[in-house]
Amino acid sequence: MLYVETIKYGFYVITHPLDGFWGIRRENKGSLAAAFTFVVLTILTLTIEKQNTGFLFNMNRLSELNVLVDIFTVLLVYVLWCVANWCTTSLMEGKGRMKDILIAIGYALLPIILIRLPMVVMSHMITADEGTFYYVLGTISYLWTGLLIFTGTMTIHQYSISKTIVTIAITVVAMGILMFIGLLFFNVIQQMLTFVMTIYRELRFR
Amino acid sequence: MKKTVKTIAVFASALCLLASRPMAARADMPYETYNFNFWGEEVLQPHSYLYSGSISTAQIGSALRYPQDMCIFEDHIYVADTGNSRILILNLDGSTAREVTAADGAEDLLNQPQGVFVTDAGHLYVADSGNSRIVEYDEDLNFIREIGRPETNLISASQAYTPVRLVVDHSDRIYVIAYGINMGLVEFDKDGVFQGFMGATEVSVSTFEYIWKNYFSTEAQQARMETIIPTEYSDIFVDDENFIYATISNLSEEDHMQGADMVRRLNPTGTDVLRRLGNNDITGDLNGRSFSTFVDVAATDYGCYFILDSAGGKIFAYDYDGNSLFAFGKKGIKEGNVQQPVALALGDGQDKIYVLDNTLGSILTFEITDYGRHLLDALRLNDIGDAEGSNREWQAVIQSNSNNEMAYIGLGKTYLAEGNYKQAMEYFRLGNSRKYYTKAFFYYRKELMEANFGKAMLVLGLGIVIGLAVYYVFRFRRWVGEVKCFMSKR
Repeated sequence: MLYVETIKYGFYVITHPLDGFWGIRRENKGSLAAAFTFVVLTILTLTIEKQNTGFLFNMNRLSELNVLVDIFTVLLVYVLWCVANWCTTSLMEGKGRMKDILIAIGYALLPIILIRLPMVVMSHMITADEGTFYYVLGTISYLWTGLLIFTGTMTIHQYSISKTIVTIAITVVAMGILMFIGLLFFNVIQQMLTFVMTIYRELRFR
Repeated sequence: MKKTVKTIAVFASALCLLASRPMAARADMPYETYNFNFWGEEVLQPHSYLYSGSISTAQIGSALRYPQDMCIFEDHIYVADTGNSRILILNLDGSTAREVTAADGAEDLLNQPQGVFVTDAGHLYVADSGNSRIVEYDEDLNFIREIGRPETNLISASQAYTPVRLVVDHSDRIYVIAYGINMGLVEFDKDGVFQGFMGATEVSVSTFEYIWKNYFSTEAQQARMETIIPTEYSDIFVDDENFIYATISNLSEEDHMQGADMVRRLNPTGTDVLRRLGNNDITGDLNGRSFSTFVDVAATDYGCYFILDSAGGKIFAYDYDGNSLFAFGKKGIKEGNVQQPVALALGDGQDKIYVLDNTLGSILTFEITDYGRHLLDALRLNDIGDAEGSNREWQAVIQSNSNNEMAYIGLGKTYLAEGNYKQAMEYFRLGNSRKYYTKAFFYYRKELMEANFGKAMLVLGLGIVIGLAVYYVFRFRRWVGEVKCFMSKR
């Protein structure tokens, strides 16, 4: 399938989630390239939102903004979720492959881009009294994405609703465990490196 | 030769520059003046008050021993010299004018009086703590009456009654803080008849704490647990509207964490009406490491108030809405530092601040600077409705301190009133005030829409016309094509 068409397919997925994710799993209608595009766009959206939202709705301190932190937060959560989900679902007879998970989650981020980007423009045009609309829209964007992640997981692994809930709960726990192992790993590597460096220095000074 | 001349000239001009550098006189104050910004961070700012000397043994003529309270009326400073069981009346230069040691006759001595107050009529009220009574003197310091223990069964007979601070409001009602009485202020009417307790601080017990204490802990545990006692007031001040400012000092770290009130403004029914509209809480220091202890408060008649913090030896100033204005002072051993400040009084309007130090046994005086005067004047003029004057003062404040968020808001308000909405928005943004920004923005948007409605409609109309034209041209061409096709087929 053409890249452009897989991008277009994203709009079908967010409006017809069950059918749409089925198309991703069975009919190869989505692509990794499109999914990654959506992830990058999400990062861009969230960064633009932090920087360019109007003063009335922007509680961020721009002098302490770090784009790198924002980028890595989104990427980390995305990758961590996908890996953790893949780990749990392969143990729980999920039918989805790693590729399907990556694509499904990527596509599920589309509402965030579609709603939150116009919200940045909107924030410059409304007063605080009209802020309710703004906040409702923001909530809708996250709810929509959450619902898509849920249906996506359900469809690509061919789960029932209750099993999906359990899987998602386990996925969250698995994310925590992964983080823990990751930190532990980093720590050990650091210790080892320091050890090697110390020996090297010791030898050089002799 | 020429070179030497040049060198000398350079050195001479360098010397001139050095000599003409503005004197760093302000920098050698033994404390810093700062304020909190929108984010709750401390930002240094120009001094609002400068230490200008102290009144101690040398000026008074005798030593103060653990003085507890101070009051300023007209040209005299009244000090409750508790350790010496006397009330000292000092002239403003510090020399002793009068001394009061007795109440009714020479035999009836005061016993460690801790509170002192002078009414509008010049009557002196003393909280004679050791004798559990209030003593009133007339303007010539003749004994008038004494008011003893309140006659009520609300406090048990075995409970001690030790009045420590008192104020008399403009209707001659007497409010007393007494040790051991945690039901609020003791209120007497003008005849000295007990009226009741007022402004009792609420006891706050969390649901969890309540359940834990009552259902899950053993009796031994309950006994060991702190009994929940409502807080007591540490000092009171009556302002020109008969409202009572009261500080609370005996708060635990937990109370501070839970955001317990540290100062209140009680209306005559005892309800707290202090405005807390500032960006930060009225808690003195905000750093979360050390907590301030408010021991005294004094207010101006335009609603600004100064609070004395005995933990950090600082004075915090707030405006009517609860915005912090500045904080200064320090605990220490340098001249101009305090050790155990207990009382605060404003003199000369608010141009002078007097701080009574219990340990040093002296009264420190602080004098307002130009910056402080501009700041307070801006608020005062705003209070009486002189927007123009207020604007002028805010300009002066900004010139000395471009970090002053309140000045930006103050100026923004003027621009808003003038109808200069864009400028107002910019100033409110600098002052970090979303509340006023949205007002300015509302009018700005309205103005913009009204000015550009015609243009916008024109563009929209043209767009529709062009769009329709293009559509019909295409349709026409397609129709022509179809016709041609049809014709050729035939």
